[in-house]
Amino acid sequence: MDTKLTFKLNGRSVSINTDPLRRLLDVLREDFKLTGVKEGCSEGECGACSVLLNGRMVTSCIIPVGAVDGQEVMTIEGVSETEGGKLIVEAFADGGAVQCGFCIPGMVIAAYCLLKSNPEPTEDEIRLGISGNICRCTGYDLIVESIKLAAKRGEKIWKK
Amino acid sequence: MEEVKTYIPSTLKEALEIKSKVDCIALAGGSDLMVAHKRTLGLTPKFDKSVMIIRNLKELRNIYINERGECCIGSCCTSAEIAESPLCPWHLRQAASRMGAVGLRNSATIGGNIANASPKGDTPGPLYLLDARVKLSSVDGEREVPVSDFIIKFRTIDLRSDELITEIIVPLSEDDFDYIFWHKVGTRKANAISKITLSQAIKFNKDDTVGDYRVSATATGAKTNRSRDVESILIGKKITPELIEDVIKAFDAVISPRAMPEFRREATRRMIRRFLTESSKHPKDKVIDTYDGYHVTGQPEPRRK
Repeated sequence: MDTKLTFKLNGRSVSINTDPLRRLLDVLREDFKLTGVKEGCSEGECGACSVLLNGRMVTSCIIPVGAVDGQEVMTIEGVSETEGGKLIVEAFADGGAVQCGFCIPGMVIAAYCLLKSNPEPTEDEIRLGISGNICRCTGYDLIVESIKLAAKRGEKIWKK
Repeated sequence: MEEVKTYIPSTLKEALEIKSKVDCIALAGGSDLMVAHKRTLGLTPKFDKSVMIIRNLKELRNIYINERGECCIGSCCTSAEIAESPLCPWHLRQAASRMGAVGLRNSATIGGNIANASPKGDTPGPLYLLDARVKLSSVDGEREVPVSDFIIKFRTIDLRSDELITEIIVPLSEDDFDYIFWHKVGTRKANAISKITLSQAIKFNKDDTVGDYRVSATATGAKTNRSRDVESILIGKKITPELIEDVIKAFDAVISPRAMPEFRREATRRMIRRFLTESSKHPKDKVIDTYDGYHVTGQPEPRRK
């Protein structure tokens, strides 16, 4: 049963006619071609499909697209265009945080949410901030270091 | 088979009207239902009856203190909102702050956690401990039921097909007790399903006898365990090592853990012994929990009213 849904996606208003029980993840990847959103565990635990819903990080695999009607969604494609997002992406590259890259969109989103609410996180707070994002390559240390780097470089941005 | 329809009401009134006419399942955060009905990669979850998405109903997202001083939490409040709210009782905030991980806590709701009626659910433990009630609404009116009665047994709740869980009312908080305890044993800090979680609270009379003692255990049976009979062993008496062992023995007979029963029983015994022994010494700090990591002894942040 298709329903017309309207929501804000990466800053612009979009409409779609679809089954409202489809997962937000699938709609973003298939209908909007936003393939930075990855499917990992499909159970809301690995964080690869993380997006921002009304500014808060959520796992898009457990959200029916009907639940975002009238709401605001931002994916990695949108976040990486923001001042803070660009800075995190650069810090991840410079800090060697990325190996296979599958978890990285989710990690960047998690880092973005963390730094927005806590511009000077301790190492424990960083690890807590990415505790819902699973990486099977790096063992996390370089990701944590890169987030520290992003916090330091972006002092002025995050404290705005 | 009837066609599965999806309803997206924009007000609570509209939602209750739909509920009165259609037998449908209310979907809030989706962290249980979307996973339970998922198929494989890229496929839409398959529900066998109609679904009503209530995630964004504003009426169900408030947290406030009512005229009786009770904390009222809208059923669609997320774990993150509860963990962050200075109005919510300490035990509940602890449980909410350790559910899943950051992203999941922004979806999972307290109403859903209760309705899922899993013996490992994180919020029922504190809710049983603090005598919480659920408010159930339909077009015909409202009724309130203690959470411990609302959850009948494993995955079974006392909800009519025309009703929605609209509010959770928590009458007590840490302010009603002298010492409080909450500890979750999981295999990791985040994304941990409770192996066992214990909530405890105690209040002493002026003559050092126990005025109130409560203990509830999660993941130790088919539903959250709490027993007034066990707690009453301590009421009106001074705590002694012998009395503590009596409580432990009596609570051991209440719980019925299936997997790893001896581990779960021993962990329960130790946590009760630790809390009662420490609190009988009347330490300065209100929070009693000595494990490394998230929770240490200390003072809870004061609640704002």
